[in-house]
Amino acid sequence: MVDVTLKVGGAAGQGVQTVSEVLSLILARHGYYVFSIEDYQSRIRGGHTFTLLRVAEQWVSGGKGALDILVCLDEATYHLHRGEVKEGGVILGKTGNEAPGEDVRLLPLDFEGVALRLGNRVFANMVATGAVLAILGIGLEEAREYVRETFARKGPEIVAKNEEALEEGTRLVEASGLSSSPFLGGHQNPSRVSRRYLISGNEALGLGALLAGCTFYSAYPMTPSTGILNFLASRAEAYGLIVEQAEDEIAAINMAIGASYAGARAMTGTSGGGFCLMCEGLGLAAMTETPIVVIDAQRPGPSTGLPTRTAQGDLLFVLHASHDEFPRFVFAPRDPQEALNTVIRAFNLAEKYQVPAIILSDQYLADTRWSYDRLSCEERPIRPSLSWDGASPYRRYALTPDGISPRLFPGGEALVVADSDEHDERGHLTEDLALRKAMQEKRMRKLEVMRKEMRLPFVLEGKDATLIGWGSTWGVLLEVRKALGQKGKSIGVVHFSDLYPLPEGLRDFLKRFPNPVVVEQNFSGQLATLLEQETLLPFPKRICRYDGLPFLVEELVEQVAEVL
Amino acid sequence: MATLFDAHDVEIAWCPGCGNFGILQALKETLDELGYRPQDVVVVSGIGQAAKAPHYLRVNVFNGLHGRSIPVAFAIKAIRPELLVIAESGDGCMYGEGGNHLLHAIRRNPDITVLVHNNQVYGLTKGQASPTSGEGFRSKAQPWGNLSRPLNPLSLAISQGAGLVARAFAGDKEGLKGILKEALNFRGFALVDILQPCVTFNPVNTYAWYRERVYYLGEDHNPEDQIAAFQKSLEWGDRIPLGVFYRNPQPTYEMKVEGRAKKRRNLFEEEEFQRVLQEEFAQFL
Repeated sequence: MVDVTLKVGGAAGQGVQTVSEVLSLILARHGYYVFSIEDYQSRIRGGHTFTLLRVAEQWVSGGKGALDILVCLDEATYHLHRGEVKEGGVILGKTGNEAPGEDVRLLPLDFEGVALRLGNRVFANMVATGAVLAILGIGLEEAREYVRETFARKGPEIVAKNEEALEEGTRLVEASGLSSSPFLGGHQNPSRVSRRYLISGNEALGLGALLAGCTFYSAYPMTPSTGILNFLASRAEAYGLIVEQAEDEIAAINMAIGASYAGARAMTGTSGGGFCLMCEGLGLAAMTETPIVVIDAQRPGPSTGLPTRTAQGDLLFVLHASHDEFPRFVFAPRDPQEALNTVIRAFNLAEKYQVPAIILSDQYLADTRWSYDRLSCEERPIRPSLSWDGASPYRRYALTPDGISPRLFPGGEALVVADSDEHDERGHLTEDLALRKAMQEKRMRKLEVMRKEMRLPFVLEGKDATLIGWGSTWGVLLEVRKALGQKGKSIGVVHFSDLYPLPEGLRDFLKRFPNPVVVEQNFSGQLATLLEQETLLPFPKRICRYDGLPFLVEELVEQVAEVL
Repeated sequence: MATLFDAHDVEIAWCPGCGNFGILQALKETLDELGYRPQDVVVVSGIGQAAKAPHYLRVNVFNGLHGRSIPVAFAIKAIRPELLVIAESGDGCMYGEGGNHLLHAIRRNPDITVLVHNNQVYGLTKGQASPTSGEGFRSKAQPWGNLSRPLNPLSLAISQGAGLVARAFAGDKEGLKGILKEALNFRGFALVDILQPCVTFNPVNTYAWYRERVYYLGEDHNPEDQIAAFQKSLEWGDRIPLGVFYRNPQPTYEMKVEGRAKKRRNLFEEEEFQRVLQEEFAQFL
């Protein structure tokens, strides 16, 4: 079975992402499964950036570290990554003269020189793309179609130059003789049925919001959440959304709350540092019982931390964020497919219980592109439950058995009063402490009903050990299970997407899994700590990665094998 | 005078003689005289004594966080442009904690009116200097006297080309009503800084102190002239001008996104949901 890993590296601004995006798209259109991970630095130009691209005939859900092909847009890439190229691999582009191993072939190519001969440095990306396609053994039909779609607006000359660039890239490889035994077998993908869908976490989160009926999104740009802002902005005019870049995250969350009070489905998104600023607003949403959805795309901290790298360090933070206690939902979707459904669910549940719902993403989920045979959307947006009989005086915060009070939007017959102070049933501020007690109990009552909405984790059984994870690590855990399975180990996976409130019956549910190992992208094992707190079961085996990089298959296989 | 906007069954938590009473009454009468219904009005506030004002009005209320009334008001107006949206709070809330939001609301130019009860002191926390307190103002927190100069909210707003910039005085109800009418009728961002004596914590800027100094801008002032407005905004001391300093009509935020409401799809209907779903999924193939 074909399973090829390639890395495209260069300086920021050189077009690493362009080359990898075009390759991903063309390969997915050829029916291959693609999985691409972005690694970039917090700068606009220079430095070092790369994309790890895995191409396979079978569905893949994680990245590998050992490279078949290394594409060097600059020489730094060659020096930094040549040691990752495995036997039989190829290094092309700005290579040095020394091959890292006997069985690694070097193909020095001057993408930029060819581009300049064609008239402009910008064509270098297409020269590189053409060269890689030739090494893989993929014809240029889809690539040409891509060029025509993408550059049509810029006129026939630009289209022609880009096509020429692709051909030049292919010719360079053919001249070297390297295309005679291409990596994808030199034949059409035998499992090729149709094009594959290709979608990143940020696109899926944005799409989920669009499908949930979100009409208001406010955010302050912050890596790695900015892709959601860009996605929703790209749809704003077609679907009539208000997408506003706020002056800071404090304004962003307050705007979302105002929009929701006025009748919109509203969301805001940020990363951990911005979420810190939103804590005050999160409490406001809770106190005024205004439904909102907040996405925290995690990155390593504390403080500014590593702006462009990945982490799962905010779980315990978002569970407790903002002072005192109030109910909230916390979700962490496992992949883009689930993410688009999660956002709709988060909107619906926030609406139903009039509470904030938090979605934990991270740089790995945000930027990684997954491929699928099909995309599906099982969730549907629910209508706002505006319930008031019109007879008795309207009481926004009526004390009810389940804690959910009748919600109305302003502008109707009843006046709607919301207050961040402790308030009476009408919404007016109060210092009646018996009423305060009743109100806090009313809000907290919702938690037990909310718990019934939460789903038990995803399960694959295994006899030797059980990997427990949450959020974006799902895919790599599946890959590790498969890899260890090939070595005769039976590894289970228990994976949480619904994190708070934790579902009912979790203690009995978790008891049956042998030899649990919790795998997380944070220092201390925050899910393990949460599970210990909530179930009183011990979870001493923890594999924690907190260097800012995602788990790759081979390394995690070794780490798991060590603790077995 | 009784108005449609009189709230009943509320206990007012202001000090007797507070300037807030005059502002509250003027606002109720103005809304009534302009023909609004309570249902069509949303008053958003922050935290502080002034921020309690919406509770004493019969309107829709969003009493949010300290300093954060403007972003909430902006979003309410963006979603429900047919409602009259007012943000009302004190000088600490609007110019201190929420100063950044004021700056950026001026840029967005939403059709909202911002009323600032400016008593040059923090009342609810018992007497500290506010962003508009004079240099040398003494309090328990500034026993050496305020080391900072006061913010000039009018100069700030005029320099940034705000829609409408005015100053009023809580001690002259009719004058205040006239200015409120202009601000509420103005299409765009309107800032009304209302000078308001604090009878408990500000022994300097009393009713009598203001009465000796305030005067209304006359016919000779051209509010369309930004430079003249800015010049007037610098006048403070023996004579303090009141009235509409600056008027800069320009397209509002809501006008710029006006077409969008019509484009919203009814995703609660399965057929429409499927259409959007298929259109969007096709983008990722």
